[in-house]
Amino acid sequence: MSRMHASQVNSRNAASVPSTAHLMRWVIMATLPGIATMSYFFGLGVVSNVMLAGIFGLGLEAAVLRLRKRPIRVTLNDSSALLTGVLLGCSLPPASPWWLIGVGMIAAITVAKQLYGGLGHNPFNPAMVGYALLLVSFPTYMTLWAPPQEFIPSHLWAQIAGTLPTAQLDGLSGATPLDAFKHKGEAVLASEFWATDPLPNDTLRAWRWVALAWLAGGVLLLVKRIISWHIPAALLGSLGVLATLFYLSDPSHFASPLFHLLTGATLFGAFFIATDPVSAATSRRGKLIYGAGIGALIMIIRTAGGYPDAVAFAVLLMNLCVPLLDMYSVPRPTGQQRTSPVKPGEQP
Amino acid sequence: MSSAFDFPGGIYPPERKQRSNQAALVSAPLPMRVTLPLQQHSGQASTPCVAVGEQVYVGSIIARREGMISSNLHASISGVIAAVSASHIIIEGDGQDTWQRLPSLDWPHSAPAELLERLNESGIVGLGGAGFPTSVKARVVEQHVIHTLVINAAECEPYITADDLTLRHHPTEVLEGAQILAKLCGAQQILIGIEDNKPEAIKALNKALPNSQPVPVALKVVATRYPSGGERQLIKRLLNLNVPSGGLPADVGVLCHNPGTLLAALQAVRDGQPLVSRVVTLTGEALTQPGNRWVRLGTSVKELLTQAGLDQTSVAQVIQGGPMMGTPLLTLDTPVTKLTNCLIAATIAELPPAPAESPCIRCGECESVCPVALLPQQLHWYARAKDDAKMERYHLFDCIECGACSYVCPSHIPLVEDYREAKGRIRLQRIESVKAEHAKHRFEFRQARLAREEAEKQARREARQAQNRRPHSHASTENSEKVDLRGLRIAHAAAKASVKKAEKTLARVAQEDPKQPLDDLEMQLATAQENLRATELQLAQAREQQPSKESS
Repeated sequence: MSRMHASQVNSRNAASVPSTAHLMRWVIMATLPGIATMSYFFGLGVVSNVMLAGIFGLGLEAAVLRLRKRPIRVTLNDSSALLTGVLLGCSLPPASPWWLIGVGMIAAITVAKQLYGGLGHNPFNPAMVGYALLLVSFPTYMTLWAPPQEFIPSHLWAQIAGTLPTAQLDGLSGATPLDAFKHKGEAVLASEFWATDPLPNDTLRAWRWVALAWLAGGVLLLVKRIISWHIPAALLGSLGVLATLFYLSDPSHFASPLFHLLTGATLFGAFFIATDPVSAATSRRGKLIYGAGIGALIMIIRTAGGYPDAVAFAVLLMNLCVPLLDMYSVPRPTGQQRTSPVKPGEQP
Repeated sequence: MSSAFDFPGGIYPPERKQRSNQAALVSAPLPMRVTLPLQQHSGQASTPCVAVGEQVYVGSIIARREGMISSNLHASISGVIAAVSASHIIIEGDGQDTWQRLPSLDWPHSAPAELLERLNESGIVGLGGAGFPTSVKARVVEQHVIHTLVINAAECEPYITADDLTLRHHPTEVLEGAQILAKLCGAQQILIGIEDNKPEAIKALNKALPNSQPVPVALKVVATRYPSGGERQLIKRLLNLNVPSGGLPADVGVLCHNPGTLLAALQAVRDGQPLVSRVVTLTGEALTQPGNRWVRLGTSVKELLTQAGLDQTSVAQVIQGGPMMGTPLLTLDTPVTKLTNCLIAATIAELPPAPAESPCIRCGECESVCPVALLPQQLHWYARAKDDAKMERYHLFDCIECGACSYVCPSHIPLVEDYREAKGRIRLQRIESVKAEHAKHRFEFRQARLAREEAEKQARREARQAQNRRPHSHASTENSEKVDLRGLRIAHAAAKASVKKAEKTLARVAQEDPKQPLDDLEMQLATAQENLRATELQLAQAREQQPSKESS
C-alpha cells in the first residue's frame, strides 16, 4: 500500500486530489453562484431554503448516527449531509415552508441515505429522493414558483413559517417557463404561444441567468477536477440532440433545444445532481451511458410525461440502472484479450 | 525524445529524489558482521553448504541453489561462519576483506552455456526488487523468441535513486552487461527506458552509447509518470506492446532488466565476482547524510542508517523500497538483502500516517489513475464482501499493486492492501483445490492398478482352468457367465482414447511451460494406461470364451 497520499503531500502538480470532505465542500462552494443568482431574481426565499435544508441535513444526520451508534463528529465533518441539504434547498420553490423542507430532508437523509448504510451506500441520490417525495405528496407547494420579485418579498416570513393561508399562496405563484409551455394546449402553436407573452415579466431571462450561473459552478467543478466531464457532457449532449430532433420534426409544437437546456433544472441537474458519484455509474463508459440516459429521460418526460420538469425522476430512474451499467461496462484491462470477461467459476 | 505510446492512468507523486541524488555513489564502511538470509530471491531458499567455524572469503559460496528457481548465496565479507540456521547464515568478519574470485571470462568469445553457468554460480538475481534469478530468466529463450532487451531505468518510485546513480557512475559497464544478456537471449536490439527526471544519467548514457557493441542500443526518454517503471507499462511505452494478462514480457518477445542487475552480471562474468554487494539508496528527512552506497549484503540496516546520520528522535518509520510499493520495517535489526534497493528513514511530517478511512463515494478517481484500466472501487466493494468470484471477474490478478489508487483515494482507503489479501486468499484456495484434485487422481490410479491386477489374476486363473479343462471336453463353458463382448470392446476403445488424450495433454503442457510440475499429469496418464491394460485383458479373455461358447 502506498505510504504516500495525495491529500497529504504538497505536490507541485495541480493534479493532486483532495479528501472526501474537501470534495463535498468544493461542490457546496460551486453552488454559490447559482444560489446568489437565484436569490437575486427570486428573493431571499432561496437562501432560507438552503439554510433550513442544511440545518435539517446536519441535525438529521447527527440524530441517525446517534441511533446507529456511529461517530458523529467525524461523519458530519465530511459535509455530505450539508451538501444534500444545499442541493435540495436549491431545488425547492423559494421560501418553502419549514415543514416541507423538513419532510424532504427526512426522506433524503434518514431514508435514502442512512437507512441504506450512510455515505457511499445509497443507491439513490438522496436530494432527489427528497424532491420526488415532496413533488408527488405536496404538488400545491412544489409548483409554487413565484415570478421574479423583490429581494425580500412581502409574505416571506409567513411563507417560511407555513402560516400563510392557501388561498393567498395561489396569488403569489406564477408558472415556470417549462410549466407554461407544457400547458399551452395542443391547438396552440409554439409561435402563437410565445406571441401571447405567456410569462410574467422577466421570467425567461431570470431562468436563463440562473442556468448560466449553474453552468459557471459546474465549470468550476470541472476545472478543479472535482467531477469528470463524462456525465454532464453525455447528459447535455443527449438532451440537446433529442431536443433538436424533436424541434426539427415539428418546430410548431416542440420547444427549441436552447429552451430545454437553459430552463428548468437541466444545467443544475447535469453538474450537481447527476454527478453525485455514489449513485452514478463508475466506469467511464458507464458514466457516458448513465448521463445520456438521464438526458433522454428528461426529454421523454418533459414532452410525453405528466410533469413539466423531469430531472429528479430521470436521475432516480437511471440510479436504478447503475448496477446493470456497472456490470456491463467493465473496461478491458491492458493485456486482456478482446473477449467477454471471464464468467464466474470459469478458469481464467 | 518522448514516446508516442502510453499506458492509461498514472499519477505524479512528489519525486523527492534530490535528497539522495546529490552525493556521489560511495562504498559503505565494511561491516564486521553480516547476516545473510537464505531466501534473498524468488523461488526456493538456498541450502547452506558451510559449517560453523569454517573460514570464508568474500565470494565464497555458502549456500547452494535448491530446485528450479533458486539462487546461490556467497559470503559478503571474509571471516568465520558464526552461525548457520534454517533461515540465515551469520559471518563474523576478520576485517581483511580477502576475495575469492572465479576466473575472468572473455564474454564475446564464451559459449552461452558457460555464461549462463557463470550467472547461475554467481547468484545473480534481479536487483530491481523481485529478485528473480537472472540465469533462469535468460533461459527463457528456450521457449520464446526474444527480439528486444529493455533496460528498465525508469525508476519511477519517489525517493529511489539507486539506478540513477548506478548509471551515472557505470554507464559503460551497464551497457556491456546488457550486451552479455542480449547475446544470451538473442535480442536484436537493446532499448533503455528512462524517465526524464534523470538528466545526468541520460547524459552519461548518451556518452557511453556509441561504444556499445555489437547489438544496437537506443535510449528512450519517457516523461516522468508513476508507474512507468512497471515492466508492462514500460514495454507499452517503449514498444507499444501489450503483455498478455497472466503472461510474461517474453510472450511478446521482450526481456526487462534493471541496470543494477546488468552491472552485477558484468562483474560476475568479467571480474568473476559473485553478487556480494549492491547499491542502496539511503534517504529520508531523518538522515543527515543521505545518498547512495555500495553495501555488502547482510549489513545491518541499523548500522547502515546510523552511519548515514540517523536522527533517532525524529524518525517515525523506516521503509524498505519506495513509498508507493515498499514495506515499513518492523525492526531495524534486519540485514540488507539482494532485494533492498532503498531505505527511507522518514519523519512523521514527511510521510504522515494515513488519515482515518471513510466510506467509498465511488468518485472514480482510482479508475482514472489505474495503469491497468481496472475498476479499483468495484474491486474494493467485492474485496470487502470477500466475493472472490466477482473479484476474479473484475481482473484482480491483473493488478500490479502499484498503489496509484490508494494514493489518490479521497476516502483514504488502503485499496492495495485489500487486493493483496484477496489475492493471497484466492491463491491459497487454488492450491487447496489443486491438492484435492491430485489426491483424487492418486486414488483413481490406485483403483485402476487394482483393477488391472484383478484382471491379470482372472486371466491367469482362466488360463489355468482352460489347461485343466483341455483333457475333457468344452462342456463346462456353458456355466461361465454371459460375456458382454460389445460393452468390453467399447470400454477398450474408450480406454485407448483416454490414454491418447492424456499423452497429448502431457506433451502440450510440457512444451508450453516446462517449469510446471508434471507429476499429476503423469499420474493421470498412468491411470489411463492401467485402465487400458485391464480392459485389454478382459477383452482378450472374453474373446477366448466367446468362440468356445459359440462352438459349443
